Amino acid sequence: MSTLTEAAVESAVRELTYAEAIREALAIAMEADERVFLFGEDVGVYGGAFGVSGDLVHRFGPDRVIDTPISELGIAGAAVGAAITGMRPVLEIQFSDFVTLAMEQIVNQAAKIRFMFGGKAKVPMVVRLPGGSGTGAAAQHSQSLEAWFAHVPGLKVIQPSTPHDAKGMLLAAIDDPNPVLIFEHKLLYKTKGHVPEGDYRVPIGKAAVRREGRDLTIVGSSIMAVRAVAAAEKLAQEGIDAEVIDLRSLRPIDFDTIAASVRKTHRLLVVYEGVKTMGIGAEISAMIAESDVFDFLDAPIIRLGGAEVPLPYNPVLEKAAVPQEENILEAARRLARGEA
Amino acid sequence: MPVEVILPKVDMDMETGSIEAWKVSEGDFVKQGDILFEIGTNKAVMEVEAPASGIIRNLVPASGEPIAVGTPVAWIFLEGEDASDTPPPPAAETAAAPQAQQPPASPSGEAAASTAPASNGHPARALDSGVRATPLARRTARLHGIAIAEVTGSGPRGRITEEDVLAHLAKRPAEPAPVAARAPAEAPTEGELVPFGPVRRIIASRLSESMRVAPHFYMMAQIDMGALQALLKRVGPRIEKAVGVRPSLTVLLARVVAGILPRHPMLNASVEGDAARLHPTVNIGIAMERDGDLVVPVLRGAEGKNLAELTREFGRLREAVANRTIQPADMRGGTFTISNLGMYGVDSFTAIINQPESAILAVGRTVDTPVGRDGQIVLRPMATFSLSSDHRIVDGVTAARFMADLREAIECPEVLI
Repeated sequence: MSTLTEAAVESAVRELTYAEAIREALAIAMEADERVFLFGEDVGVYGGAFGVSGDLVHRFGPDRVIDTPISELGIAGAAVGAAITGMRPVLEIQFSDFVTLAMEQIVNQAAKIRFMFGGKAKVPMVVRLPGGSGTGAAAQHSQSLEAWFAHVPGLKVIQPSTPHDAKGMLLAAIDDPNPVLIFEHKLLYKTKGHVPEGDYRVPIGKAAVRREGRDLTIVGSSIMAVRAVAAAEKLAQEGIDAEVIDLRSLRPIDFDTIAASVRKTHRLLVVYEGVKTMGIGAEISAMIAESDVFDFLDAPIIRLGGAEVPLPYNPVLEKAAVPQEENILEAARRLARGEA
Repeated sequence: MPVEVILPKVDMDMETGSIEAWKVSEGDFVKQGDILFEIGTNKAVMEVEAPASGIIRNLVPASGEPIAVGTPVAWIFLEGEDASDTPPPPAAETAAAPQAQQPPASPSGEAAASTAPASNGHPARALDSGVRATPLARRTARLHGIAIAEVTGSGPRGRITEEDVLAHLAKRPAEPAPVAARAPAEAPTEGELVPFGPVRRIIASRLSESMRVAPHFYMMAQIDMGALQALLKRVGPRIEKAVGVRPSLTVLLARVVAGILPRHPMLNASVEGDAARLHPTVNIGIAMERDGDLVVPVLRGAEGKNLAELTREFGRLREAVANRTIQPADMRGGTFTISNLGMYGVDSFTAIINQPESAILAVGRTVDTPVGRDGQIVLRPMATFSLSSDHRIVDGVTAARFMADLREAIECPEVLI
């Protein structure tokens, strides 16, 4: 086997963790474009609270991997300003929960400026937000607030579920001339998957059908897409053929892919970690109910979302407050067997 | 609640039917399965059975005039239901005075008064509004012209699903098959009896009719497929790139047939009384299978479409068949049919003409066959084509000329350019 072929094989089977894939995307973007810089609490010497930025400060120096004081408002405001002047800031909100402190800059400034200045000013910034529960970090460090931002025109909100997509979508986000929020589930950071070498893009706004099936459609993003795929494999052993759609992007949302699937399966289960009420599931259900796909529903839509409580610290309760694989299995069975 | 007797949809493209004769009278006690009336369609007269047991009332007169499918033509009052209470009037095609229409009686008088306060509604509507059914079940019922209230729901709290509607359809024989339907009770050793679904009913009646009215004759030709295979190999990937679907041999044959049919008007014609209707366009039906049933979607205006256009349209039809979204309009108006069973390894077969067309082309598999060429025996990819023609308007020589053109166009597709 020639060295060239070996390299190609090596590249084809290369696996990285989700965190490594993000770090690789950041490095590629910083190498390609000197306007790209990282900004956030402990992203430098410490390597990031979840180790995502790692050694980047040593590779690109403290001028481009900047440790900031503990002020999310300050980080976000400085990033908006830098983006308007033509820089490409990538900021990290250490825990996505703390984004509440940066709401003014993200929602009132970043999302609006391009519109209010008639396109003369743009805000090409990326906000990375580690979110989700499962790490025993309690109510103020475990939330899934992505639906809040998906409600705001002017923002893009993405939630990749695989290392491959994390790298490709982050690179697409850095390219984007508008603010993009990428919600990274903390439990996904250590998951491994194939990640191609080099520069590639996964488009924002396009869902992925992770598994084709005929009996029902399960829609989820981030870790819920992962749990849905695992559940679907078990369902297959019971003779239930579930189609799994990984949304990947909440705004813009790929309604066409969902619609085509429900038109085929006639049953829809939406799974999301955010609190069930007024969430992503409500939006997707309403989109289906409003569209001509309504006539193809052969069962009520099921939403499986987070419990209506601040996330508990107790690990048993924490798990119970968020959809797990068993909950998806159970809901899918009810739906497929006509018990819903 | 009284059970409504509707004018059923017994043919796929049926929109109206007529009541030819009632077999029961006003006030009779009828048992489920009894023959109630004869329904007339533009193809045949069939018998309709009682959907429930009880006293039948409010019969629409057997006028032979067209009535929309799904229209209630009588009501069956179940045991204990007081017919004199609020007799639901049947809706004839000439609607009676609206104020005379009342919602049908419910088992409890108060409930009827409270659940249906607006007595301006059509009886079917008033009944439907209280029914639990999924949107897909309602849509399926609508497409088949049956009232959703007739269907028994199997879901939670009696909710009707698509499966229930389909089961209901399969249970409701519109053709006089009661003898067969009762057979298992008398002779249970005879094996399972699979009732005809709606599509199977149409297939059975249309094809029997075709064999009855059209004197079929058959003509076979073995044709060298080499040139067509090469063409498909050459243009296939380009067309796939352009329209997203790879052209199949079947669609290429449709293109070839569409190219030569205008020169053979009698093979693109229909018998109408004592005349042959020559169709101005070539609409090629392609026989397909879905869930064990034959369906024939139509490539419309095929003579004016190139291979890429036909491929795209064929792809759409095939997907619609698979997704069960195929519309009756997509299956109407065929003027010539192609049935290709080559992919199943069939060498050759003869097909029954799809009325009112005058011919059908049956295609067998392509197989390397020793043939004589220039004094040598060579292997060539040969396929057997069998043309079934209706001798009322197609004579032997007419069909043979078509076959000669077909051979030329397949062996040298350039002649179509």
